[in-house]
Amino acid sequence: MVRPRRRIMPIALAAAAAITLSACGGGNFGDDNGTDDNGGSEEGPIIIGAVLDITGVGANLGVPEQNTLNMLAAQLNEAGGINGREVELVIKDNQSNEDGAARATTELIEQEGAHIIIGASRTGPSLAMRPIVESAEIPNISVAANAAIVEGSDWVFKTAQNDEVVIEMILDHVQSEGHETVALARDASGFGEGIADMITELGEERGIELVATEAFEPSATDFTAQMTNIRNAGADANIIWGITPSAGLAQASYSQIVGDVPVYQSHGVANEAFFESAGDAAEGVIAPMGRLLVADQLSDDDPQAEVINQFIEDYSDQFGESPSAFAGHAYDAWQIAVLALEEAGTDPHDLRDAVESISGFVGISGVFEMSPENHSGLDTSALIIAEARDGRWNLADSQ
Amino acid sequence: MLVDFLQLTVAGLSQGSVYALLAVGLIATYTVRHVVNIAQGDYAMLAGLGAVSMIAAGVPMLPAIVLAIITVTLASVIIERLIIARVKNLTTLVSIILTLGVSTLMQACMLLAWGAEGRRLPFFPGIDLNLGGVSIRSQEVWMLAALVIVGGGTLLFYEKTKYGKALRAVAEQPVAARIVGISPAVASMVAFGIAGLVGAVAGVVSAPLYLATWSAGLLLGLKGFVAAVLGGLTSFRAAIIGALLLGVLEQYVAGYVASGLKDGVAFLVLILVLVIRPAGLVLRQSAARV
Repeated sequence: MVRPRRRIMPIALAAAAAITLSACGGGNFGDDNGTDDNGGSEEGPIIIGAVLDITGVGANLGVPEQNTLNMLAAQLNEAGGINGREVELVIKDNQSNEDGAARATTELIEQEGAHIIIGASRTGPSLAMRPIVESAEIPNISVAANAAIVEGSDWVFKTAQNDEVVIEMILDHVQSEGHETVALARDASGFGEGIADMITELGEERGIELVATEAFEPSATDFTAQMTNIRNAGADANIIWGITPSAGLAQASYSQIVGDVPVYQSHGVANEAFFESAGDAAEGVIAPMGRLLVADQLSDDDPQAEVINQFIEDYSDQFGESPSAFAGHAYDAWQIAVLALEEAGTDPHDLRDAVESISGFVGISGVFEMSPENHSGLDTSALIIAEARDGRWNLADSQ
Repeated sequence: MLVDFLQLTVAGLSQGSVYALLAVGLIATYTVRHVVNIAQGDYAMLAGLGAVSMIAAGVPMLPAIVLAIITVTLASVIIERLIIARVKNLTTLVSIILTLGVSTLMQACMLLAWGAEGRRLPFFPGIDLNLGGVSIRSQEVWMLAALVIVGGGTLLFYEKTKYGKALRAVAEQPVAARIVGISPAVASMVAFGIAGLVGAVAGVVSAPLYLATWSAGLLLGLKGFVAAVLGGLTSFRAAIIGALLLGVLEQYVAGYVASGLKDGVAFLVLILVLVIRPAGLVLRQSAARV
């Protein structure tokens, strides 16, 4: 009898190579309609490009963002476009990876002639886009969170709340509850980068010490090891910093292993999908987020109430589900782009200046005050503390 | 601390049981056709997503799960009939390229049909236990039970029954098998049916804990493949043990070394096995069987 043992090595290598190729390769699902380059011209349609995490680990973010942009583009063109010019929206899928984001950005600039680019959905891909838009001098409005995306950049803006602002909100709450130590389980990708340092730094002012940090991949499904270490750290309260579904699965594992110790999540779980992935474990979780998810509990004199409720109505009518905070980030990015285009036209430098001088724009995530120093335009007033109760996000009682 | 060690071990064994089922599926087709089926992990995701949809459509849980498993089993047989069986001179290398195509196609279809977001199946009935601080979720028991019943059943079928031995005979001696009346075509269909079945079972038992996502099958399949290589691509026993070890090792690395290294463990194991012991965990004694 002949054993096929000798053949295993080449087979295994070939399989590994094939798997690697398929994981890295693949094209775009985007809309490739090969528009001619029309740079800063004042004729023809205005091209708004978008690079979103439509497939892969960021899909919970990218899909509602894509829906929102498509809806708003249709609304805008129905109303006559921008100063009489039609707006063409070109969305590219970066497949939730950096490499895809860089490629899509280059395509949007070189082949589609985009005047302004929205995206990406998550920090990592957004950071990959930054050098490309900067060297091409095309304004970019990211819908991801990490402050590093815009720090020191002339050309990049963003509409998601700064993670620093979110951490301040969490630590203020931790302090008000009288806790003195926290442990962190964070996303291992760009979204969680620098979070531990920030907690250490901002915690110091509040007498809160970070005693342990664990990391998890955004594609992870099992969190036993991280949560065991978190439990052993014995902190007064714990912070899970990630996006759904991984942050939700981590929450389920947390309640299994760590149990009743208070837990905070980030604005990365500001959607209904969190409850799908976390299940019953979601109950009692506290997270700072924008007002969108608790729109029905806002008082009528809240300056954002009208904008938010109109958006929820439009979005729900068209897609049969309520919009997530990420849809809101895309809404804000789109409206800021449109306001700037109305003001400045398509010349990239004028357009950049117009985005930077946006002031008093009432969006979904807050009231934006852009400035040369602040390319994210939001402070802690953009956030509320929400608590997960009965399978949805609620305004926490303390407010 | 002992409690931690046991907690990590429990998580590793339940995760490892999913790898083990996928490894069993891979070996089921490899021993009969020398096919390495890259789409093995996608069977799991297809079954999970299918069951989620049927439950959403109002089918009760048990029939939904059984229907999903049957559907994926048939899908695997159809893939064998329409694609694998039509290739003349099918080498293992060709099979990898071919099934990589199948995998990509399946992923694209799943993405179109279910969208990009992960879906959760309801938990199977049962009570979560806490034994002296070690938490064991009932779903984890279901996963291990699925391995014992379905994985063990496949092993017994291949090694102890006349039909199972006939299947392996096709791979070892195709001409002789034909002479004694074993049809290679039927053997191949049966093998793919079994691969579909165990893959689907892995998918439905793990979907309540790990979610079913269109894209997650490839990495799961790879981990199953690493386990299968530990079994020399032929030994069910060694592959199952290898899969459980891999699951547990991932947890120890994540728990005691650095949680970010978890997904690297399988690759490291693959490299080490190929360099040091290409035959995997197979002992001479069990290799001489058949």
